[in-house]
Order: sequence, then C-alpha cells, then structure tokens
Amino acid sequence: MTLLRARLSCLGSLCCGRRDISFFTNTSPSNWSKVVSDAEKIVGYPTSFMSLRCLLSDELSNVAMHVRKLVGTKHPLLNTARGFVYDSKNNLQMRGLVVLLMSKAAGPSAASPDLLQQDMVSGIYPSQRNLAEITELIHTAFLVHRGIVNLKEWTNSDGPLKDMQFGNKMAVLSGDFLLANACTGLAQLNNTKVVELISSAIGDLVQGIYYENSSAVEESCPSDDITVASWEEQMFLSHGALLAKSCQAAMELAKHDKQAQVLAYQYGKHMSLGHKMNSDLQPFLKATAGEPVSFSLNSAPVVFHRQIVGPESWLLQLQQATTIGRQLDYSKLWGTIKAEKGVSSAIDLCCYHGDKALEAIRCFPPSEARSALENIACAVTKF
Amino acid sequence: MVIPWRLCRRLMVGSAAFPKNFCVSNSGSAGGATASSVLSAGRLARQNSSILAGYNVRSLYTTSNICSCKKASSDAKVKDPFTLAQKDLKNLYDDIRKELFVSKAELKSLCEYYFDGKGKAFRPMIVVLMARACNLHSNRDGDLLPSQRSIAMISEMIHTASLVHDDVIDGSDTRRGKSTINEVWGERKAILAGDFILSAASVALARIGNTTVVAVLSQVIEDLVRGEFMQLGSKENENERFKHYLEKTFKKTASLIANSCKAVSILVNSDPEVHEIAYQYGRNVGIAFQLVDDVLDFTSCANQLGKPSAADLRLGLATGPVLFACQQFPELHAMIMRRFSSNGDVDRAWQYVLQSDGVQQTTYLARTYCQEAIRQISKLRPSLERDALIRLTEMVLTRDK
Repeated sequence: MTLLRARLSCLGSLCCGRRDISFFTNTSPSNWSKVVSDAEKIVGYPTSFMSLRCLLSDELSNVAMHVRKLVGTKHPLLNTARGFVYDSKNNLQMRGLVVLLMSKAAGPSAASPDLLQQDMVSGIYPSQRNLAEITELIHTAFLVHRGIVNLKEWTNSDGPLKDMQFGNKMAVLSGDFLLANACTGLAQLNNTKVVELISSAIGDLVQGIYYENSSAVEESCPSDDITVASWEEQMFLSHGALLAKSCQAAMELAKHDKQAQVLAYQYGKHMSLGHKMNSDLQPFLKATAGEPVSFSLNSAPVVFHRQIVGPESWLLQLQQATTIGRQLDYSKLWGTIKAEKGVSSAIDLCCYHGDKALEAIRCFPPSEARSALENIACAVTKF
Repeated sequence: MVIPWRLCRRLMVGSAAFPKNFCVSNSGSAGGATASSVLSAGRLARQNSSILAGYNVRSLYTTSNICSCKKASSDAKVKDPFTLAQKDLKNLYDDIRKELFVSKAELKSLCEYYFDGKGKAFRPMIVVLMARACNLHSNRDGDLLPSQRSIAMISEMIHTASLVHDDVIDGSDTRRGKSTINEVWGERKAILAGDFILSAASVALARIGNTTVVAVLSQVIEDLVRGEFMQLGSKENENERFKHYLEKTFKKTASLIANSCKAVSILVNSDPEVHEIAYQYGRNVGIAFQLVDDVLDFTSCANQLGKPSAADLRLGLATGPVLFACQQFPELHAMIMRRFSSNGDVDRAWQYVLQSDGVQQTTYLARTYCQEAIRQISKLRPSLERDALIRLTEMVLTRDK
C-alpha cells in the first residue's frame, strides 16, 4: 500500500497545477460527465486490474521517475503523463466504458455452452472486461506515441535538444510497454479472431494518425485533394476504428452472431465519429466574435468550408488571414468560416452519426445498459 | 561475491569448474527472481558443466554424432544453413511486403524500407530449419507447413519493428549501410511505422489460428520491451550486473529466436519435450549470437557491422567484454556506473577492455551457450536440417560481421 501511494504520488508530482488537460476535448461538460458517470455505475466497477497493474509496474514507475526530469521542458509526454492521473476518472476510460456497456447490452451468450453465465460480473464476461482494458491500453499507447517529437524540427529556442531526445526515449518505451501489455492481454483472450480484429485496429490507428501533425507543413500550401469523404475515412481510422472493432470483438467473445457484431461495430463507429465532430465544432459554437480562438485547419467545419468555397477561394482566404509576420490570424479566419455553411454542414454530419449510432443500439433489447449507450449517442449531438 | 569471477578467469586455462560455480553464485543471488532467463542461465550452466566434464572444448562438433545412430550425414555433407534454407526463404521479403496493407504511399515505403531483401534473414533461416527438423522428427515429410513459413515471416517482422524503435531510442542514423528511418522521415513517423509493422505481424499471427502460438509470440513482444527497459539501469553489484546483462540479452535477442523455434515445433508436434528442445536451442543460440555481437563491437573495424565500433560504450552500455574486464581493472566500475558519460570514458574503457581478456572470456561464454544449443538440438532425429542447425552454431561463433 505504501508502495502504491509512493508511486501514485510520484506520478502526481508531474501534475503541477494544470488540471484542464483533456484528450477527449470536452464537449458540454456538465451533460457529458453526467451521462458518463451514470453509465459507469451500470457496469459495476469501471476498471479491472490490468491498467492498475501497468501503472504500478516497475517499468512505468521507472518512466515516471525519469519523466519528472522533463518538468519545465516542452516535451508532449509531460502533458500526456499528467492526463494519466487527472483524466483517469472520466474521459480517458471512455472507450473501455462503451465496450463494457455494449457487452452488457448484448447480454449473455445464447449459443455457446462453454461460456458460463455465473462467471459474469454485472452482466459482463471477464474476457469482455479484459478487452475493455486492452482497448484503453492501446488508446493510451498511441496518445504517448503521437507525442514523439521530430528532433530535426526542434530549434534551440524551444529548449535544449537533449531534453527532447530524452523525452522521446521515454515516450517510445512507455508506449511500447503499453502496447506489449495489450498484446499479451489479447493473447490471453484465447480467441484468434479477436486478436486479428484488434491488431488490425492498431494498424488502422497508425494509418489514421500518420498524417495528423503533418498538417503543420501543409498549412503553407493546403493540399487541394482533401474532400469531406477522404477526410471522414481518415477520421474513422484515427478516431473510430479502435472503438468500432472493440465493440465487435466484445460480441465475438460472447459468441454473439454476425448481426450483433455488425450492429456493435456500427455503434462504435458512428458514436466515435459523432463525438469527434462534436469536439471539432466546439470552437465555432462556444466562442463569440473577438475572443481569441484556436482550431485545427483539419477540423470538420474547416474541411466542409474548404469544400464549399473551393480551393482557390480557400487559398485566398488563408492569405487574407495571414499577418505580415506570416502568422495565421485565427480570429479572422474564424469569422470567414462562420460566415459560410461549413459549420452547419458539420452539425448535420454530427447529427447523422449520432442518429446512426442510436439506430444501431436500438436493435438490442431494452435495458439499463442500452439506455446508457443511447444517452451517450444523444449527448454527442447536443451542443 | 568475487569468487566466481576469479574462477571465471581460471577457467580460461581449461578448468571445467567455471560454469558450475558460476551457476551456484547465480542461483544463490537469484533468490526469488522470477525472470525465467536468470533461472535458466543457471540451468544452462549446470548442463554445460556436464558437457564439459565429458568432452573438451575441441570436441564441440562431435556431440552432434552422439544421437546419430542411423547416421545419414557425415560432416562433409553438412550443408551450409543459408543454402539449405534458401528454397524456403526465396520470396520471404515479397511475402512480408504483401502483409503490409497500407493505403498511403509514404507510410508504405517506410514500412517496406528494411524489407529490401538485403538483410541476412538470420531469424527466418533458423525458423525454417527448425521447422523442417521438427517435421522430420515427428515422422512427417520435411515439408514446411504454411503456418510455419508464416512464423518465419513474423519473426523477421517483429525483429524489424524493434530495430526501427531501437534506432529512435539510440538516436542512430545509419543501419545496414543506409540511413535509418528516423534520419530520413523523422522520429514520429519512424515510431508509427514500427507500430504498423508490429500490428501487421500480429494480424498474420492471429490468422494462423492457433491460440498457443499467439501466446508464445506475444511473450516475445513483452520481452523486447522489458529488455529495453533493463538497458536503462545499471546495477551496483557486480554479480547482479552480470545476471542483469544476461537476462537483458535473453529478452532483447534470444526470446524472439527461442519462441519462434518453439512456435514452429508446436505447429507440428504436440510433445512438450520437442517444444522445449526447440526453445532451448533458440535460446542458447540467441544468447551466443548477442554475446558475439557484443564482442564484435570491440573487435570489428568500423563499418563492418554497419555501425561504428564501440557503439555500445557510446550509448552507455556495459556489455560482456566490459563486465569481464572490470574484474581485472576495477577502475572500470565507476565508469560503468556513470554510463561512460565523462570525457574520455569511452576511450579509456575501450583500452581497458582490449588489455583485459574480456573479449576472450565473452567468446568463451558464447561457446558454452553454443555447446548447450548443440546438446539440445541433438536430441532430435538426424536430418540435414538438424545438422545445419548444428553447423550454424559454429557460424555464429566465427562470424565477423
């Protein structure tokens, strides 16, 4: 117990002050948190021991010791590590929660005699709980690997290069450690279909996030081939595939039929995409003119806007919003985008995904867990 | 604590006591250690001592004849392992590239970067030879099962994925005579490419459809990461340091070979004894391979290994030759503890190692591991492939790059 406290306080010491960092950029906090915390009660204990085991392992506490050296530097691993502590209560565990709810909503297996109903805890098989943990491990591993810094792009004014090299080393190792634990956890599920499904989701995730940060380079010359369709495909890979395939795998573990697997997949996919749209829309809905805003040029409203106005006008608008110091004036660009239909098109798409998720989950028999998943799908379309 | 080390050195003049004592000291300090490799390092030493009792070191290759009752091959006929495995490895790299389903051209070229056919394919070679040897041992024809060929591919993919990540961790800029992925495309994309190769390997593994095989190879991935973590720390105590080094060596290098060998044996034979033979052969050859690698870091000229010599020292790593040298030159101790970080440490350590018999002792240790590998594989029924695996241990010891 003292060991546990020592290690947690070790992690805690990373988190000097900033409590507001969130990976799942919060949509409408009050509503969303309530939906999630209500849902957590339904699945019994929300976390199994796997993530705790990882957090308390020698390897990760070793990393935590080292990461303390990074306090004061700009390495992204620092923010990610802070998130381990402060977001573990709600947003970080979101994907695992959905997998658990989906498992419970689908209920016990009708087909397979070798799955015992008495093994279930709160209506969920142990293997499904492990799967939920694995989903979180993979998600977290990529949060860490996303934050690897390209050393050649680092300039001395950003701080010492040595810190960045060290931060990278820690980020590679801890991400690999989480992935390796996910691999052994997957193997223990004793179902090669599930191993294949989740492994392919890891591949999807890599393909999805591969180009994520390169938009910084593209900003100077926006690629013209970006369409809403190709963008959506990209978003599915980076934000939807893991949850969709995990939901499907949860059905496979309980030997539910193909139809249930497809529905679970659909729910996971559309819920994730709806959620992504929702968070992309926040800067355009919450802020008022004149306030400082920041948004990604690769977010839903901007991509719609680009498609609506066409590449030439978009380039022109970008130039008009660029200051003499070659800085992009986001407030100005924000106004330009708000004046067009990009925002409302993105809202429409968000609602489409929310509805599709609802449609899928409503094919399951009514239950507490189903209602919770419906609430989550509804919350995604609330602004 | 110093006793076994003294014995080590005496052993260099032929005492058979070394492994036994080494083992005693090891298992004594291992106490409640869970790491299988530590324990089996002890086990190995115990077994080796019995070999050494019966044969002198020069009779290394005669051990292969012990079980060859219906001996079909004489040493003259033993084929070069690379030639023998060639027919199974012809399209290996083409097939690996087919496993990498990527839509984006750039990511694809990163993932395929090291599958250019210029690698030695050392791991796949052992895997296919072991597979055929196990098949013949199990009263089948020698032909490779498709699932066994997949394991050969997967072993190379896991190995490559770990190289890509290692290069980022070590900040390397060249490998196999070309720029590393991180040097060309940056660290972030390199890590993602490594992750992708691993996921593709994992998909291929799952498609074999055997849950035991999935578990065996997942263990490798965990070992690789744990081995990398072990490389971060240095141990104060000398005996612990050596144990730590051997355990790290197992996890980072030998686990992949051992478990791939085990996987191909599982796919053809249900006898756990055969699995253990395959595993132990791979484990011992793997450790020997890495020990020789660590020696070459001191003895080979720059560029021959495709990396600058004394690279390990520059990375702060104390490998076999340094650990042995530290016995003769205690001055090395402080340098090991500060990971050769002070000015001139690398050069001084290098000098000490060359003046000591650290290189010979490490080579000798590699040789004992090879002997154990031979003892293990000799339990299989004789076949061309089995004899090639025996011949391979010699090549591991004599390679110069």
